[in-house]
Amino acid sequence: MSEYSIIGKPTTNVDGAAKVSGEAVYTFDMTLPNMLYGKLLRSPHPHARIISIDTSEAEKLPGVKAVITGKDTPGGRYGLWRRFPELCDQEVLATTKVRFIGDPVAAVAAVSEAIAENALDFINVEYELLPAVFEPLDAIKDDAPLVHDDCDNNINNTRHIEWGDVDEGFKNSDYIREDRFIYSSQHPSPTEVHNSLASYDKGNGRLTVWSSTQSPYYLQLGLADGLKMREGDIRVIKPHVGGGFGGKNSTMPDSVNAAVLSMKTGRPVKIVFNREEEFTCTEHRTAMHLAVKIGLKKDGTIMAKEFKLITDGGAYTALGATTLYLTGTYATFPYKIPSYRYDGVRTYTNKMWATSVRNFGGTEAIYASETQLDRAAHDLGIDPIEIRRKNAMTPGYEAPGQYNVGSCGLLPSIDKVEERIKEKWTDLSKDEGVGFTLFAYMCGGIFNWIDTPYAFSGAMVKVNIDGTVDLFTQGSDIGQGTNTVNVMICAEELGIGIEDIRLHPADTATTPVDLGAWASRETMMNGNAVKDAASNVKKKLIEVARMKLGENIVYDLEVKDKRIFLALRPERGFSYYDIVKDAIKLNDGEPILGVGHYTPHRKGMVSPAWSFGSMAIRVKVDRETGLVEVKDVIVAHDCGQPINPLGVRGQVEGSVHLGLGWGLCEDLPTDNGLILNPSFADYKIFRTRDMPQIELHEVPTYEPGGPFGAKESAEGAVAPTSPAIANAIYNVTGATFDSNVLKPEKVLKAIREKEGKEN
Amino acid sequence: MKNIIFDFEYLAPKTLEEALTLLSQYDEEECKVIAGGQSLLILMRQRLITPEYLIDIKGISDLDYIKFDEKEGLKIGALTTHRAIEKSPVIQKEFSVLSEMEQNLSNVETRNWGTIGGDIAHADPCGDPAVVLIALNAKIKMTGSSGERTVDAEDFTLDYFETALHHDELLTEIQVPTLPPNTGVKFTKFSQIVGDLGLASVAMLITLDENKETCSDVRIALGGVAIAPMRAKKAEDMLKGKKISDALLAEAGQVASEETSPTTDVQASEEYRRDLIKVLVKRVGNEALARAKKA
Amino acid sequence: MKKELKFVVNGNPYDIWVEPNTLLVQVLRDELGLRGTHRACDSGTCCACTVNLDGMAVKSCSILALQANGREILTIEGMANGAELHPIQQAFIDNWAFQCGFCTSGQIMASNALLKENPNPTREEVQLQMDGHLCRCTGYNMINEAIRDAAGRLQAQKSQEKTK
Repeated sequence: MSEYSIIGKPTTNVDGAAKVSGEAVYTFDMTLPNMLYGKLLRSPHPHARIISIDTSEAEKLPGVKAVITGKDTPGGRYGLWRRFPELCDQEVLATTKVRFIGDPVAAVAAVSEAIAENALDFINVEYELLPAVFEPLDAIKDDAPLVHDDCDNNINNTRHIEWGDVDEGFKNSDYIREDRFIYSSQHPSPTEVHNSLASYDKGNGRLTVWSSTQSPYYLQLGLADGLKMREGDIRVIKPHVGGGFGGKNSTMPDSVNAAVLSMKTGRPVKIVFNREEEFTCTEHRTAMHLAVKIGLKKDGTIMAKEFKLITDGGAYTALGATTLYLTGTYATFPYKIPSYRYDGVRTYTNKMWATSVRNFGGTEAIYASETQLDRAAHDLGIDPIEIRRKNAMTPGYEAPGQYNVGSCGLLPSIDKVEERIKEKWTDLSKDEGVGFTLFAYMCGGIFNWIDTPYAFSGAMVKVNIDGTVDLFTQGSDIGQGTNTVNVMICAEELGIGIEDIRLHPADTATTPVDLGAWASRETMMNGNAVKDAASNVKKKLIEVARMKLGENIVYDLEVKDKRIFLALRPERGFSYYDIVKDAIKLNDGEPILGVGHYTPHRKGMVSPAWSFGSMAIRVKVDRETGLVEVKDVIVAHDCGQPINPLGVRGQVEGSVHLGLGWGLCEDLPTDNGLILNPSFADYKIFRTRDMPQIELHEVPTYEPGGPFGAKESAEGAVAPTSPAIANAIYNVTGATFDSNVLKPEKVLKAIREKEGKEN
Repeated sequence: MKNIIFDFEYLAPKTLEEALTLLSQYDEEECKVIAGGQSLLILMRQRLITPEYLIDIKGISDLDYIKFDEKEGLKIGALTTHRAIEKSPVIQKEFSVLSEMEQNLSNVETRNWGTIGGDIAHADPCGDPAVVLIALNAKIKMTGSSGERTVDAEDFTLDYFETALHHDELLTEIQVPTLPPNTGVKFTKFSQIVGDLGLASVAMLITLDENKETCSDVRIALGGVAIAPMRAKKAEDMLKGKKISDALLAEAGQVASEETSPTTDVQASEEYRRDLIKVLVKRVGNEALARAKKA
Repeated sequence: MKKELKFVVNGNPYDIWVEPNTLLVQVLRDELGLRGTHRACDSGTCCACTVNLDGMAVKSCSILALQANGREILTIEGMANGAELHPIQQAFIDNWAFQCGFCTSGQIMASNALLKENPNPTREEVQLQMDGHLCRCTGYNMINEAIRDAAGRLQAQKSQEKTK
């Protein structure tokens, strides 16, 4: 690997000046001339038939310009699993029945937000209440109310994954244990609420939508399906986004309703959710019941694993079906499991639907796996770090017929964390304990349930006469730093500087498709597309340089530090800027264009590459109150070649923060479908005083399939936190937990139960 | 986001007299007083409180003061901000428990604008200042068109968001008596998130006799475990006149927890809140005792 | 019935008329077009909307616009000196102290007030004063480092000015 000029060097955010000066424009900040404000009327009932809706009073109010209900919408159905039309189960507004508290039934557009909000009180809806079902184990029963009338037993989706002979594996095991867990939901809670601004062009019938989205393309598809329009007549632009964390992949009611209202009024319409709507009516993590059975030899070698789960999908499909698939996959990570069987069921319930959230499918499975593994280690008398080392994946590992692992720094990461625990945590008090867990995460998914005919990511590079570059790509920066990574990759590939590149991101009209920011795919997939596009430009520049040098075709040329030169004789070359001028002249005056794309091929069925790591958490348990303080965290992390170390560290820190919250204090208790804590006052999120410092070690590897050897960074680090905390508490008190969110009351109860058993 | 979408008349009196005159002009149902508004505005944005007349007293500078005198004790004007109390050198020296409590109250932004009078008048059963003031044996002065009166802090908060204030009165001053010699005071609230609203809280004042052996006076105030901040009088009786030990404090904690009437809500169960009181009384008592010994 | 609001924002005097039910953040964003101050919650618990009022960090969503009468407001738009970023802003960039950036304006304004009051804060002192700020992206530690880095830069700037 030659020394890079830009890759691997700490690089500040290309959007930095805009973000620190309040000039970065989010959808939240946008207005257009003649704009109207929209609000949604939502069902107060979890399950009801709509008998009638009377909007006449609302329509009469001064300042109200339109009131729509389901019958005023084009009637298209949409969803993210477009390969299976029956799973495209969402409508712009409920037409026949409402399926969760918050399901929108009407929308208002008015000259001010206050008038629009007030007008909702004047819409009269007559409902016929229906029995509702809230718990997946109830939803699958034969006598359960049906959330979707055509879906038997409320079974939305199933998944089976299998390899090896599991029954044989258990027969050959010396030790078998079965555990059940409940994983409860959390909310992504991005700081920018869901909001969209739609503008309909009365002249050509085209629609432009600005939205706080993770995937302009997915939104474009959803709008096209819901509004029964051609995709190409819809332009989705993603401005800066104030966080997504998985909850902004779907087409949500703000975008589709703003669009319909704009089409009806002929004026731009903006819909902004308030924070209560954000908590109650936007996507959250899928809660689930998990049953895990593992068989090991007495030396700790894993022989077989059986994993069953039933998930609480909520009222619609969205990406929840993907969660089912990924959870079943992550239950095997990051270990070599010779035989495995998984059966998952996703049910409909009368609640806001559940979907992807940061560490999509991994957090749930890894909570169960890592907690169980510690218990097994304890029973077998094996050190928890040792049992993991023994079974850890290694480079090139293949789960038969399922996924391939390319580069893998798991073993060195275990060594590193173990070494640091021994050096650093020598002074544990009797109330302190350590939990050690492993993690792994995908670099985007190979599956195509969205049913796109496009390459999974595309990019275009245009080089101008003065050597400046315009880079067009739909990759979505939602805070993770994709814009900066893309510019860095393009600069490195062309041998130029970051200051030479202007990025045009995330506009479906001007950029080739990228599937969006989910399952940590941007660096791998979008990065590869950007590199591909830049390399096609590089080829053209090299050809011109070679011609000028008059050199034999076998001699390689390189680009670096704004020069194009003979690799073996670097002094023989030209300035990049001069070659650009020549290339344009030789191309009939056209700017130099390079187009690139990336779709993973021959990489198994799940993901083209995986990041890995180890984590240790030191906690202090207050045995009288059950309060668990997180004192210190050590992480060793393999993301291949880190593109931007600053960004990588940022991702690790953010992931740990989310993971700690999801392990200790964030939950969404409901009562008959009503979320009980829909505000930051009641939904508890770690603040700065709760966060420990995080010691991070990179374990660089090289992923040949990744741009400059890079893989995704740190989304994996969300998952190990909850089980590490549970394992640490177990090590201190012996108390075990069958669920996450270890609030003090729950911990105290478990400690007392354990003490009670001992007495 | 939620804004205040109903209209109201805004009145901004410059003096206490003006404010009292306005108060007496409007009915209780139609008007509301705003000081810092850190609690009130949220409720107005949620349309839970919808006054037709809003009387903004934040501009009455005469009510913003901190005065201390060895004999008279501490007098805090109702419109003194939490931040001023937190940072006041005289309070840090003489009544450190107050500035410690303020340091963990909400966040700096709230404390810079919110007032102690506004907080106590709002009467949130979890409200920290009220709990500490009860332990400090404070008095609350109220002024109305018919004159002034004071009540003990423990008699000021009556119920959820309900106080002893008559409609035509304003809370104008908080009076904290000088601490007797050999007195220590400590406040702790329990929350999972540091500095968050407490699930339960305890403030204890312990005065020791001149030999620093036995407890001559004790006040135990509890927050978040009843309809209003309360005193745990039975627990106090157990400690008065005795030599305070760990075991005694644990017993007192048990008794105090039995005096409470907490509720179960989405954050915690009533049993757990009682458990917390047991633990907190013990821990806070030990710290107050240590302070009393040092005093 | 609208009432008169006379105040100074980022050094500019304004004399406007607003409905009493207008929040300070609405005046800043909607009337004055200063959209750098963001809003992220409806419960006064996130501090994204923090501005400086007479030098104090306050939540602009939790103050009525009319209560700012006669006061001086500083928003994120007032931090840079022309085209030159404020040392706090530059420190945030150099320390990767933001990711999505939506809470950043509030963080910077709070830091501004913090560093004026306490020019050389420890890690714990920064944590204590920044505790109201909700960030979903960074985990807070890199923000803490940026603020202390900014403290150093401001001290250096002060010494330079002294020696001039």
